[in-house]
Amino acid sequence: MTTLDRLKTGTSGAVVSIDGDDAIARRLNDLGFWPGTHVELVRKAPLGDPIEFSLRGYRLALRKQEARRVMIEAPT
Amino acid sequence: MTSAVTVALVGRQNSGKTSVLMHLTDTAQHPVNFPGSSVERVEAMAHVDGTTLRVVDLPGIGSLEPLSPDEHVTLSWLREAHDALVIVVADASKLSVELGLVRSVMGLGRPMVVALTKVDQAPAFVDRDALQAELGVPVVVVNALAGTGIDVLGQALVALARTRTKPAAPTFDPDALARRVTTTIPTKARRSLTDRLDKVLLHRVLGLPILALLMVGIFEVLFVGAQPLMDLIDAGQHALGAWVGDAIAPGALQSFVVDGLINGVGSVLVFIPQIFFLMLFVSLLEASGYMARAAFLLDRVLSRVGLSGRSFVPLVSSFACAVPGILATRMIDDERERIATIVVAPLMSCSARLPVYVVLIGAFFPPAEAGLVLFAMYALGIVVAAVTAFVLRRTRLRGQHSTLMMELPTYQRPSLRVVWAQVGSALKAFIVMAGTVIVSAAVVIWALSYYPRPTEIHERYEAARALTSGEAALGELDAAERAEYLGQSALSTIGKAIQPVFAPAGFDWRTTVGVLASFPARELIIPTMGVLYSLGDVDPGSYDVASLDASDTGGLRAKLQEAKNEDGTAAWNPVIALSVMVFFALCSQCAATLGAIRRETRSRKWPAFVFIYMTVLAWVAAVAVYQGGRLLGLTA
Repeated sequence: MTTLDRLKTGTSGAVVSIDGDDAIARRLNDLGFWPGTHVELVRKAPLGDPIEFSLRGYRLALRKQEARRVMIEAPT
Repeated sequence: MTSAVTVALVGRQNSGKTSVLMHLTDTAQHPVNFPGSSVERVEAMAHVDGTTLRVVDLPGIGSLEPLSPDEHVTLSWLREAHDALVIVVADASKLSVELGLVRSVMGLGRPMVVALTKVDQAPAFVDRDALQAELGVPVVVVNALAGTGIDVLGQALVALARTRTKPAAPTFDPDALARRVTTTIPTKARRSLTDRLDKVLLHRVLGLPILALLMVGIFEVLFVGAQPLMDLIDAGQHALGAWVGDAIAPGALQSFVVDGLINGVGSVLVFIPQIFFLMLFVSLLEASGYMARAAFLLDRVLSRVGLSGRSFVPLVSSFACAVPGILATRMIDDERERIATIVVAPLMSCSARLPVYVVLIGAFFPPAEAGLVLFAMYALGIVVAAVTAFVLRRTRLRGQHSTLMMELPTYQRPSLRVVWAQVGSALKAFIVMAGTVIVSAAVVIWALSYYPRPTEIHERYEAARALTSGEAALGELDAAERAEYLGQSALSTIGKAIQPVFAPAGFDWRTTVGVLASFPARELIIPTMGVLYSLGDVDPGSYDVASLDASDTGGLRAKLQEAKNEDGTAAWNPVIALSVMVFFALCSQCAATLGAIRRETRSRKWPAFVFIYMTVLAWVAAVAVYQGGRLLGLTA
């Protein structure tokens, strides 16, 4: 298991859980980071942060800080 | 309006909610809503088959779990509005996520309808009938861009208002339901267009240069493209002033109308072309989907000082004029970050500061240093803004947790209806403010500079004129008369009384008067000093970078270079010029900006804060420059 921010560009993983139970965690849940969801790291911004992800048919930018909260099953 | 049925409009940013509102309510009072930016509820009326609907647009929310104080306010209202019907605007291209929101809203137990948008963009075919059957609430497919399906939505609302059918408690799993009602189809044309564009626009190396080029292009249009229109307004103002000047006999009334009213209104209207173009570009960039990319590219830099990528466009816009820059902060969804951006936006060196820099740099710095000094003035504003934002975000405007969770929407053709409405609303806001705040400020300054008006001065100059011949000599006498009147006016009495405050910064009483006169609008310093240094009329509209060496500013420059104090020493030197420029770079001298801040923060506290911190900072910095220069022996 690893965290979302550690995916390599172009690879994807499946969400296992979200760390914590605060507003950020709930917002990540609202955005569709549910267990089993496939998330691809599309690209990092030129300065390394934030990161663009693809999930559930749409694209989302998250800062590393938030991406770290999403635990994923590492790509095989 | 007791018979109106309240309808709450709920949906995420980019879901097409604003377009749904605008198509549903044709005669919208407040047709523009910037999702997530305002506690203020936007309401508009819709009339469908004889039923009046009061549509309340709630800022873009993705769930019923409040993350910010604003969302808390919105959600409390929704929870307490028991009579309200609810429309949930759901983007079909990410149906599973949207069904999570639908489920939360169903939990409230209000009669509701789901408006399904972007069906044509979805990578999968959505079976509306199946979705409606599974949810047990009406599902209407709407095209937010074209407005098709809006009539069906209206009829569904009217039917709901009659039956008030409440949804059953939701038990479905959003993910599973989304899978049941969609059939994947192979074409993903639009998404792949977006992917191809993003490969270039968000490229690791090319992304930032492309953004920079785009901004340079926009600025080019703002400064060059808007210029003919600005000249036209300027010419119109002068023509009107001349015509009214001929129509009214010389005296207080003529001066009030021409110098006070027409000048006051004109000096504000002249900014309309720039505001129009800027808001047009901001609106187009937002609607096309590029704005989210700009935020993505620059978030890292701005997050260092407690702002985010979303602050970028408002701040860049403020280099042209802080007013549209402040209006553009409506795109920022975090209220504290938005206020921090508003508070530092006026520190960006706007186009009205340029005349001051141009005159003073030209008079006191060799051409080789001109560019560097000009650049230093812009850099000063940026550095002070960064520090101010940094401090504010760690004190008064500390957020719970600065985040960026932003959808990068599919690129699309902007809805002209939404773009025009946004541009129109910004222009209307500016004109209303210009008509009130700025005109009253201009009139007050005019009155202070016109009165008292002893006839003795006029009689003395009339006598002198009788003994003089020649256009030039008569012109000089007129200018000297104006200068003498101004010299004994209430404004200059106040200026002389206040001068000790500015003495540590090296300002003489004339500069002090100029500074005081330019509090309503900083570009007023040029004509005021022109009169004070007995030059007569200097048009503030005729300066730009290109005229750094132009002869039309030569007169005031020469006068400043030659000006003497009462003890015979030179009134100006490069250190004083720098001190005055630093003062103008930092000081809050713009009634329009303060008015915009008041309107956008809905408080008197923030404009007051901005006025005080900028003015104090400007004074401290000007004193530091002058005293520093003196210690280094540069003032001799």
